[in-house]
Amino acid sequence: MTEYYVCPGCALLCDDIEVEIEDGKVTKVNSACRKGVARMKGCSDPMECTVDDEKTDVDAAITKAADILREAKDPLIFGHGNSSSQAQQLSIDIAKRTGAYLDDTSSFCQGPIIEAILQDKLKTCTLDDIRHKADVIVFWGADPSNSHPRHLSRYSYFPRGNERQRGWEEDRTAIAIDIRKSDTAEICGQSNFYRIPMAADAEFMEALVSALSGKVPKTSFDFDKKKILQLANVLKKAKFGVICVGLGLVYSLDELEPLFILMDKLNEVSSFHLLPMVGQYNMRGFNQNLFDKTGYINRVKFDGEDNSVKHGADFSVIESLRNRSVDAALIIGSDPLSSLPLSVARYLAEIPLITIDPCRNLTATKSTVTIPCALSGVEAGGTAMRMDGVEVELKKVIDTDNLTDEEILRRIKEAI
Amino acid sequence: MGFGQFLSSPEIKLKVVTFRDVFQNTAQESSRFGEDYCKLSAVIKLDPKDIVKLSIKEGETVIVKNKSGKVVVKAEGSESEESHTGIAYMVNSPWSNALVPDETGGSGVPSFKDFEVSVQGAKGERITSLRDIF
Ligand code: SF4
Repeated sequence: MTEYYVCPGCALLCDDIEVEIEDGKVTKVNSACRKGVARMKGCSDPMECTVDDEKTDVDAAITKAADILREAKDPLIFGHGNSSSQAQQLSIDIAKRTGAYLDDTSSFCQGPIIEAILQDKLKTCTLDDIRHKADVIVFWGADPSNSHPRHLSRYSYFPRGNERQRGWEEDRTAIAIDIRKSDTAEICGQSNFYRIPMAADAEFMEALVSALSGKVPKTSFDFDKKKILQLANVLKKAKFGVICVGLGLVYSLDELEPLFILMDKLNEVSSFHLLPMVGQYNMRGFNQNLFDKTGYINRVKFDGEDNSVKHGADFSVIESLRNRSVDAALIIGSDPLSSLPLSVARYLAEIPLITIDPCRNLTATKSTVTIPCALSGVEAGGTAMRMDGVEVELKKVIDTDNLTDEEILRRIKEAI
Repeated sequence: MGFGQFLSSPEIKLKVVTFRDVFQNTAQESSRFGEDYCKLSAVIKLDPKDIVKLSIKEGETVIVKNKSGKVVVKAEGSESEESHTGIAYMVNSPWSNALVPDETGGSGVPSFKDFEVSVQGAKGERITSLRDIF
């Protein structure tokens, strides 16, 4: 029987992946997209185990990492999007024990949307619901053709679902709302593409709400009123609608109120769901795990003594670094020196840094301690959460000499 | 080679919008320090009219800078049929992040997808490498 694996390349966690293995290495990956293939084959730049730029063994590196965290007054623990839930739980434990700032990428991407979903402020659905039922799919500030390459083929547009037997040709309408004509907008077609000016998403939402209420949709940028009314008509007729929220939309909204109002209106006139287009494979898992333990999804600071939790923008990775309130950092499965604004990243590079990752990255080049770990989802199993909140069990494909990040964190925790 | 010699080339102000690209992302999975990742990241996509304003040709290098940082990247024409003068596209990468202002207005979220830069032709200048960024 064919064995199917799960791809950890993005938060779609495609579970239909076949692999070929030779000499203990993944040589071929079938049915994944090119990004998934690259992830599952592993990088060509493996991380080395080092302390102060000198190669060392993992025991010495773990001891040094524990020393740094113990001595720090306000350490930061960041990353988690590419780790299993088991490893994330240990991260939370270490943060509690060391009175650390604890955050993840959601802090500067999908955080507000996930938070609203977990607080039941937005109606959501699963990817399987979308495959089987969705007839109107709106990609808003989202370009899955590049960020989640199999989104349209496995779930949102092309498949024959239980109630969508005629697929995209007759049974589904895909709409793109964006500031640029993305590859996804190209697939939606010119008549289903709504190009709006930069930072105009909230205003476009308001106009759409007017149109859905039978009023004339006015915008300060003179968007063709007929086209907005047309869109409102399509949305009204939806039996099972979904808005896939991308970073373009998240970044353009100062607050979520306009989105709440639009979703309320859409659910008055038809039935609409919202799907956060989460990037890293287990970012949502981290948000859920932290939420279960503290009531917050990210941006927390534990108080070492009484274990109280503070939460808010001041405890976000960006502000804590900008304000220089942290004095050491543990980075797991992430490369903040690449992904943060340079001026913020510069400060991070000045403090004692510990990086745990299968691959060498920019952050590793500035780290006091680097510890290679097994590639999650390929060299190690564990639990993860898809972008839609469904739990998925990752299966180990091949063996490695490297410890898993879970094991490394467990040993750091013990050593502290 | 210093930047001084380019002082006479016209400099224009643009807004940058960042985006994701699966090819660049795939290169990142293989190696962040690889040539492919740099080649696919250190690029700015310009509207044809802005290319004319800069008096450069497609494929030449340009200096992109603002208060936050400065990088030398390759200028390409964008494939978009619709005009987007005044707006340039960059793939999300350490090169674009070098230009993202760190102010967040207290929100903790920088403007990763919408920031201002000035662009100036710098034909023949070496493209900023990942290591040069730091
Ligand atoms: S879409 Fe995402 S999960 Fe699916 S194969 Fe591609 S990278 Fe992997």
